[in-house]
Amino acid sequence: MIQKLRDLSLQGKVSSIYLLANLLVLVVNMVLLLGINNMSKEMDMVYHDNLHLNELADTLTAVQDNMTDYLTIKTSDSLENYFRSEQNYEQMIQELNVDVTDKAFDRMERNIKSMSETYLRIVGETIDAKRGRNVEKYRNKYESATQIYHYIHTYINSLNAEQFRNNSQNYSKLSSAFRIFETISYMVMFVVILGNVTIITNLAATITRPLKTLSGLADEVARGNFDIELMEISSRDEIGVVTRAFNQMVISIRQYIERIRQSMERERELKEKELMMETHLKDAQLKYLQAQINPHFLFNTLNAGAQLAMMEGADRTYEYVQNMAEFFRYNVKKGDETVTVGEEIELVDNYIYILNVRFSGDIHYEKEVDQSLLHVEMPSMILQPMVENCVNHGIREMAGKGRIWLSVYRIDDNVCISVKDNGIGMSKDTIDKVISGTYKDEELAAGSNGIGMDNVIARLKLFTECEDVMTIISGGKDRGTEVILYLPIREQEEEDV
Amino acid sequence: MGMGKRKKRQRENEYPWALVITTAAIFTTVIVGIIVFRFYMRGFKEETENKTYSRYYVMITEDRKSSFWQSVYRGAFERGQEEDVYVDMLGDNLSESYTREEMMRIAISSHVDGIIVAADESGRMTSLIDEAVQEGIPVVTCYNDNSHGKRCSFVGVGNYNLGKEYGRQVLKILEEENYDANVMVVDQVTDTATSVYFDRKSPVKIVVLASAYVQDPGKIILFSTIQETIKMEGGANVKVELSQVSINDSNAFAAEEAIRDLFMEEEIPDIIICLNELNTTCAYQAVVDYNKVGQVSILGYYDSDTIIKAIDRNVIYATASIDTEQMGKFCVDALTEYNELGYTSQYFTTDVKIIDKDNVSDYLGGDEDDTEAP
Repeated sequence: MIQKLRDLSLQGKVSSIYLLANLLVLVVNMVLLLGINNMSKEMDMVYHDNLHLNELADTLTAVQDNMTDYLTIKTSDSLENYFRSEQNYEQMIQELNVDVTDKAFDRMERNIKSMSETYLRIVGETIDAKRGRNVEKYRNKYESATQIYHYIHTYINSLNAEQFRNNSQNYSKLSSAFRIFETISYMVMFVVILGNVTIITNLAATITRPLKTLSGLADEVARGNFDIELMEISSRDEIGVVTRAFNQMVISIRQYIERIRQSMERERELKEKELMMETHLKDAQLKYLQAQINPHFLFNTLNAGAQLAMMEGADRTYEYVQNMAEFFRYNVKKGDETVTVGEEIELVDNYIYILNVRFSGDIHYEKEVDQSLLHVEMPSMILQPMVENCVNHGIREMAGKGRIWLSVYRIDDNVCISVKDNGIGMSKDTIDKVISGTYKDEELAAGSNGIGMDNVIARLKLFTECEDVMTIISGGKDRGTEVILYLPIREQEEEDV
Repeated sequence: MGMGKRKKRQRENEYPWALVITTAAIFTTVIVGIIVFRFYMRGFKEETENKTYSRYYVMITEDRKSSFWQSVYRGAFERGQEEDVYVDMLGDNLSESYTREEMMRIAISSHVDGIIVAADESGRMTSLIDEAVQEGIPVVTCYNDNSHGKRCSFVGVGNYNLGKEYGRQVLKILEEENYDANVMVVDQVTDTATSVYFDRKSPVKIVVLASAYVQDPGKIILFSTIQETIKMEGGANVKVELSQVSINDSNAFAAEEAIRDLFMEEEIPDIIICLNELNTTCAYQAVVDYNKVGQVSILGYYDSDTIIKAIDRNVIYATASIDTEQMGKFCVDALTEYNELGYTSQYFTTDVKIIDKDNVSDYLGGDEDDTEAP
């Protein structure tokens, strides 16, 4: 039955609660009304005896009056009336009690009945005597009849009075019983109402409880927690439907999230693989280059060349070869070390010297360096590629008019190293591409040491552990380019500064 | 989590029980309410089981309220209960008061099974008794007889014994008071006074208060026995004047007035002999009212509370205690015997005992039941 109740629709449930409550009240009310009805019947009956006795007395009087009438004026009408009343009276006394009991009422009734019978007999004799014109007899009989008539009346009146007294007592008892009934009724009604309220609250709670749970869960989901316990579906009503849908939704969301997570994982793995491949490729390229040039051999050879030039007295050649040797040695020695800003600037000087020898002094190089910042640490092979970039893309085609400015200065806690040229400049697109590391230089491998700007930026980012490591400013086409990189001064360096 | 889940499930399982319990509680309240009320109603509706009797006797007397007649009635009633007879004191429940004759008429027309009547010797009573017998209703006269009627039996006091006792008491009074006794026997009604003078100078005046009907042979016996006893047992030196005053007891208040009249006379009697309870009480009251205590000795009748107390206070000298309950019992017995056998003994005599200040203490203690047979 309970399962059936659970399977009802919401409307059905509410209606059945309403019906149940009303049914209870109806039943209780009917019981109480029945009680009241019984009580009022009882109360009606209280004076029933008195009414009956009054009727009896009236009929008796009618018999006596009709007899007297007949005796006074002997008409057939009065005789007829007499017979009618006599018959009435006879019928009425038949209903009276004949037993002698402990109850005074019963005995009085018995006496009334006996006397009435005697009375009717005498009255009958009187009437007969009157018909037979036996004056003496009917006069005598009339007298004794009247006497008995009075006795009966007295009896009836006495009985009436006694019964009235008794009935009044009964009545007051009954009315006090009625009061008690009233009190009991009030109490019963109170309990019923209390019970009804309890039932309704209980049943209403059974309807709202799953809703509350559901709303709580929904709230949880809204806050982003999908890892909730699914609700049990205990009913087949609308709430059950909503619960099922909600559960389905939570499951679907979970599955969806899982799928996304998996695809992301897969993507990440792919990217990792790609990166690894690139690294390996780079590594291979490097190994290849290194294998090609034995640095020590090259370095010693160049040194020997420098000594030869010195012995021959070719000072310029000696200086050139010496610079070359320095440049390569740096490359070999510091390829993967942290260096100071000063060392980097020295390398740039070497490089510019070599280029100027090569391109017969086409490049005008100026530097403005804050000497106090020379020992600040930075990754190796950063400035040279930047300057190489300036030369390759900025001023190579300018035939002696190209200029490069290198300046090192301090802004707040950063060392700023600016490399500026007056070359062809860069478009905004290119700048963005370079900064984001997506720009690929086709010519990279040809005339350089193989380190591109993307590599520079990536290593700077790793070194400084921050994103904004480089700014590229360009006035536009043929307006030159300035590349500024920022190095944060570490605490230890700060003390030295 | 597991715990919480179980708890929740438990709570969900609880609500049908809560529902069932609440509904049950409501119905229990209703049912208990009904039962409580029914119980209450039954308590007040309950009627005593009515016993039905096979016979119905009525008792008719003039002053049914007196403790004497109440006691007689009680005796009759109790006897009746034993014999499946209900004895009713006629007139008890009626709004009007009727004379004995009217009540006789009522009893006859009510077709009762037997009448116990405190009769008198009047002709009307005789004819009523005869009428009743004619209607098939046996009549027993009680205390006062109607010797001319067709009553089946008379239940009364042994007048000879009673007279003897009264006579002895008179002599006792004379002895104690050392009277110069002169007994005068006067019958005022019949005017046949016979005075017996003894050799005493001033005779003691004794008045016997009797009912108005001289024809009552019982009273005549009583009177003459008193006379005889004084004469026989007192010897020749006792001089008394014994007279009889008739009290018309058919008239309400007559007794009281007649007795008071006695005290208004010049010569107040020395000894008053009363032959019923009412007269005794009236004489006692008159003696107290006229301040004649000690001068007038009363010989009473019956042993009601008042009379016993008066003896204790020395206002009444002595009283004749009649076994009233026995009297009532004899009445019922006589009627039942007559109804069953068609005949019965003509006379029943109840026991008489004198109570004076010597044995009054026996009666004082148990005055709750003042009619206890000695």
